[in-house]
Amino acid sequence: MNNVKKVSLAAAATGVMSGTARAARKKAVEELMAGIRDENDKVRAETWLGAGEVGAPAVKPLARVMTDKDFEVARAAKRGLWKIVRHVGRPKAGNERRAVVGELVELLDDEQPVPVRREVLWMLSEIGTRKSIKPIAALLSNKALREDARMVLQRIPSKNALAALRAGFKAAPEDFKLNIAQSLRQRGVEVSGYPCVKLVPTKKKNVKPL
Amino acid sequence: MLAAPGRGGANERLTMAHIGVGGMGGYHLRDMVERRDRGEVNIAAVCDIDRNRLTNALKTAGKGVQPYHDYRYILQRKDIDAVVIATPDHWHGVQMVHAAECGKHVYVEKPACCTIEEGKAMVTAAKKNNVSVQVGSQGRSQPEAYLAHRYLVNGNIGHISRVDCFHYPSPEDNNPVPDSDPPPELDWDMWLGPLRWRPYNKRYCHGVFRWLLESGGGQIRDRGAHVMSCAMWWMGADGTGPVTIEATGTSPKKGLWDSAVLMEVTYKFKNPDWTLTWTQMPRDKLPAAEERTGKEPGGKIVRPGYGAIYRGDKGQFIHWGGDGGTWAEKKAREWEPPAGAKDVYESPGHKEDWFKGIKTGAKTIMNIDAAVGVANLCILGNLSYILGRKLEWDQAKQEIVGDEQARRMMYRPQRHPYHL
Repeated sequence: MNNVKKVSLAAAATGVMSGTARAARKKAVEELMAGIRDENDKVRAETWLGAGEVGAPAVKPLARVMTDKDFEVARAAKRGLWKIVRHVGRPKAGNERRAVVGELVELLDDEQPVPVRREVLWMLSEIGTRKSIKPIAALLSNKALREDARMVLQRIPSKNALAALRAGFKAAPEDFKLNIAQSLRQRGVEVSGYPCVKLVPTKKKNVKPL
Repeated sequence: MLAAPGRGGANERLTMAHIGVGGMGGYHLRDMVERRDRGEVNIAAVCDIDRNRLTNALKTAGKGVQPYHDYRYILQRKDIDAVVIATPDHWHGVQMVHAAECGKHVYVEKPACCTIEEGKAMVTAAKKNNVSVQVGSQGRSQPEAYLAHRYLVNGNIGHISRVDCFHYPSPEDNNPVPDSDPPPELDWDMWLGPLRWRPYNKRYCHGVFRWLLESGGGQIRDRGAHVMSCAMWWMGADGTGPVTIEATGTSPKKGLWDSAVLMEVTYKFKNPDWTLTWTQMPRDKLPAAEERTGKEPGGKIVRPGYGAIYRGDKGQFIHWGGDGGTWAEKKAREWEPPAGAKDVYESPGHKEDWFKGIKTGAKTIMNIDAAVGVANLCILGNLSYILGRKLEWDQAKQEIVGDEQARRMMYRPQRHPYHL
């Protein structure tokens, strides 16, 4: 671990941010973003592989690059963000995790591109806390993201997530009720009127027999 | 001969359908056509979500075979006894469970499942519906696998405390391309099926899905499901599991594929204590393959790039392959069992063993319990690699211990309506 990361981490862990620590954190993020945008794929890879320890301060800068027109740069940013999620998800890293979740939740707002929000939803499915349930549940009414939001709530093992699914089911339009009903069943809730349709064929034949 | 309850008689022809007919699915269909032509089975239907593949399969299967785009029509047909599922890995769990729930016997390609929870559902569905399931880790049914197994269980290398599996690296995507529209012959929505939605990409579809962690999972899941299947069978370890899993690996430097290029995984087992490792290594580090004449039971070694070394307190033993080609070291092939030596089950062939299971209710050699146990090794190895940390596993409860994020990753919600 380089010194910049060490200082940044120490500051994050104590919750106290001196001027020196702030400067170090800023420098760590700048270095990370420069590496992510580098033309050399080896440099990009080394950078995103080391992104985990940079943590919460890098979340939004990386998210901004996830839709870069150079798709390899965009991938590097996405992978860097996932590295952070996997790093802070480790046991006994509650403070770091909460800081990252806080940043991720802010990326669910309507200003963000759909592909970014979709990826962020799945990140929250792994580390999301109570604080993330409400903004995820809000996306159950977003046509482009509601199916991801449903699955993510299904995965988060909390009563709040289940309550959000119940509320979402009541409010859902008819064409989405079957989906949420399935999540509720998966979480052990009996649902009437919206049976499981998994075995019902929907796709017509497109090749004739010989 | 009387049939077992709910199963056809020994001389009754089974009626088959094939779901997924490209790649390995094409091989299974051609193999089944030969069996049909010998009067052993009927083939009623073929299914694929790629129109070109379906059209080709229909030409292979011939007149009288119905083509389907949606496998659920096949599951509704009462005249079909059994299905062969050779779709991408992320479909195995869902389609096997659906087929079992519709009373069909199943041959499903390996690895059995993509998540721990899928595996649990597969085991439950097979038991509840009393169907015979064979998973396509066919290494267990090879002639030299029998010879190796017999050699090892008779203590020829003493007590075995370590098995080291070796494999060449997973490839890197050296020709990355941006996402695009899917080709007109492909139903991308149904190809993705249970996976979360993502745009089509040429480097994420037929064949190459193998190199994506969320679907194929890299070499450890592709070939691990073969080599580690032999290890669990020969070590008498089916039904057991590791207590810890620790993986490291190197990531691809560019492109869409994200499975580990080089990889080392260590699985520690307790009671009895032994260690299993999985290593993807540069080709120049692989053990040299044995010289052969081609007259051996398994013929010449044509895939020397993977296998395993068994380390005992009286010596060691090596095999190459572990799938449709399984090649045992000479000393195991030439060993003559003395009077009183232990014998082991000799498979009549992987499909023959499945047919026997269907007709008699006998446990198949790569039954779903055993196959899920092997797939779990692959899944846990990848999870440890993805998370960058050691995992603890509770075999009795079938769950990861003490790591909330890893526990959530034992399960992956599936898109409606393509779910378990």
